[in-house]
Amino acid sequence: MSFSPSAPAPVDHGNLGPRRYRTINWVGLWTLYSKEVRRFMSVATQTILAPMVTTLLFLAVFVLALGHAVDQVGGVAYMSFLAPGLIMMAIAQNGFANTSSSILISKIQGNIVDLLMPPLSPLERTVGMAAGGLTRGLVVGIATWVAMLPFAEMPIAHPVFVAYHAIMASLMMSLIGVLAGVWAEKFDHMAAITNFVVTPAAFLSGAFYSAARLPPFWEQVAHANPLFYMIDGFRYGFIGHADGSLTAGILIMLGANAFLIWLTWRLFATGYHLKA
Amino acid sequence: MDAATIQNPLRARRFGAVNWLGCAHLLRRQFKSGFADWHYTILGPVISNALYLLLFAVASSSLTRLDPKALVGFIAPGLICFAIAERAFEVSGANLIFEKHHNTHTDWLMAPLTATERAACFAISSTLGGMTIGAAVGLMTLLFARPSLSAPGALLFFAVATGMMHGLIGTLLGIWAQKWDQYTALHTFVLLPLAFLSGVFAPVQQMPEAAQALIRLNPIFYLIDGFRYGMIGEAAADPMVSALVAIGMNAVLFWWVHRWFRTGYRLKS
Repeated sequence: MSFSPSAPAPVDHGNLGPRRYRTINWVGLWTLYSKEVRRFMSVATQTILAPMVTTLLFLAVFVLALGHAVDQVGGVAYMSFLAPGLIMMAIAQNGFANTSSSILISKIQGNIVDLLMPPLSPLERTVGMAAGGLTRGLVVGIATWVAMLPFAEMPIAHPVFVAYHAIMASLMMSLIGVLAGVWAEKFDHMAAITNFVVTPAAFLSGAFYSAARLPPFWEQVAHANPLFYMIDGFRYGFIGHADGSLTAGILIMLGANAFLIWLTWRLFATGYHLKA
Repeated sequence: MDAATIQNPLRARRFGAVNWLGCAHLLRRQFKSGFADWHYTILGPVISNALYLLLFAVASSSLTRLDPKALVGFIAPGLICFAIAERAFEVSGANLIFEKHHNTHTDWLMAPLTATERAACFAISSTLGGMTIGAAVGLMTLLFARPSLSAPGALLFFAVATGMMHGLIGTLLGIWAQKWDQYTALHTFVLLPLAFLSGVFAPVQQMPEAAQALIRLNPIFYLIDGFRYGMIGEAAADPMVSALVAIGMNAVLFWWVHRWFRTGYRLKS
C-alpha cells in the first residue's frame, strides 16, 4: 500500500472543518465570560450577600465607635465619608477574590485545561477572566450601595467619577487576582496573599480616615498605596471632596490597568505556572 | 491455677466511670487537626486584629479628640474575646464538617466513648484552641494598649466560657450542616453580626435605648462585657449576671451537644 502525496483523496469535511474566526473569537470570549459570571452567581449568598452584610457591619461598627466624636470629614458627616470607601473596599476585595479563586480552584481540581485548551488567544483569555471579576466587583458594589441607602446619606456629586473609579478599580483588582491565581499553588498561598497583602492594603487605604489629616510621613505612605487613589477618586464622585490629586488618580488607574493587562497577557501567552 | 488469675489478653477492656485513655486519645486527635497549620492560624488573627487596632488608633487620632489609648484599651478586650470565639468555633465546626465529608468521624463514633465524653472532648479542645489564639492576640495588643489586668479570675473565667460556648455552637453547627455553604452562611449571617453588634467597639451606654435593649438579648454581649471587666475593670452589665448567663448558655449547649452525640443525629444513619 502506498500513499501518493501528489494526489490526496478529496475529502468532504462538511460541517467538521476547522472553525474560522475573524480577528476575535466572540463565541469563545462570551462563553468564558458567562462561565466566570455563572460561577459566582450560582453561589450568590456567599459571593454577593456575604460581602454586603460584612460591609454593613463595618459601617455600623465604625459609626458606633467614632461617629459621635467626629464633627465632619471632608465637609460631610462621618457616615457619608465612610460609606463610599467601604463600597470601594468591597468592590476591590471581590474583584480580586473572583479571578484568584477561579484560577486557583481550576488548577487544583485540574479543570484549568478548560481555560487553556479552547481556541482563545492569550489576550482573549485575559479579557474574559478580567471581565468576570470586573462584573463581580460591580455587582457587589451596587448591592452594597443599595443596602447602605437606608442608613447613610449618599448623594452622587460626580457620577462619572463614581463609574470610572468603580470600573477601573474592579478591573485592576481582577487582573491582580489573575496574577495571584496563576502564581499560587495552594490555598495557603492565596490565604497569605489575601491576609497579608490585599486586606492590609485595603484597610490602610484611607477608607476609614482622611489621609489629608495624617502626619506627613503616613500621608506619604497612603499615597504609595494604589487603593488610596481608587477610594479617593470614588469618594470624590459621591461627596465632591478629595484628599489627593484627582488627575494623578485617573492616570495611575489607567496606567496600572494597562500594565496589568499587558503582564497577564504575557503570562497567558508563555503559560507561566499554567502549562508544564 | 485459679481462673481469676489467668490474664486473658483478649478479654473486653474495662473502664471505670470515665474512659480516660479514650478521652486522651480523642483530645490528642482534635489538637492535631486544630494545630495542623498553627503558624498560619495564629498569624492570621494576630495580623488582622493588629490592623483593626491600628485603624481605630489612626482614625480616632486624626478625626476626633478621643484619646486613642483609651479607645484602643476599650476595644482590645473585645477583639481578644472575638479571636477566642472565632477559633474555638472553627476548631470544632470546620473540623467536624471536614471529617463528615471524608467519613473519618467514624473513628471516634466507633471508639468506646460515651456521648458525654465526646461532648467534653470537643468542648475542651476548642476552648484550648481558642485560648491559644486569644493569648497570641492579647500579646499583640500590648503594642497598642497599656497592659491592664484588673480581675485575673474573671478574665480566665470569661475566656474559658467564650471558648467553650463557641466550641459547642461550632460542634452543633458541624453536626447539623451537610455542606460548607450552610456552615459559612450561618457563620456570616448569624454569628458574625451577633459578635460585631455586641458592644465590642463602643460602650453600650452610648447607644440609643432600643439598641441597648436589643444588645442585652445577645449572649455574646455578656461574654465580652465580662472579659473586658477582667481586663480593664469596666463593665456595662453586672459581672455576676454575665457569669450566670455564660454558665447557663454553656450548660444548655453542652446538654444539647451531648444529646445529639447520643442519638447520633446526622452522624449515624
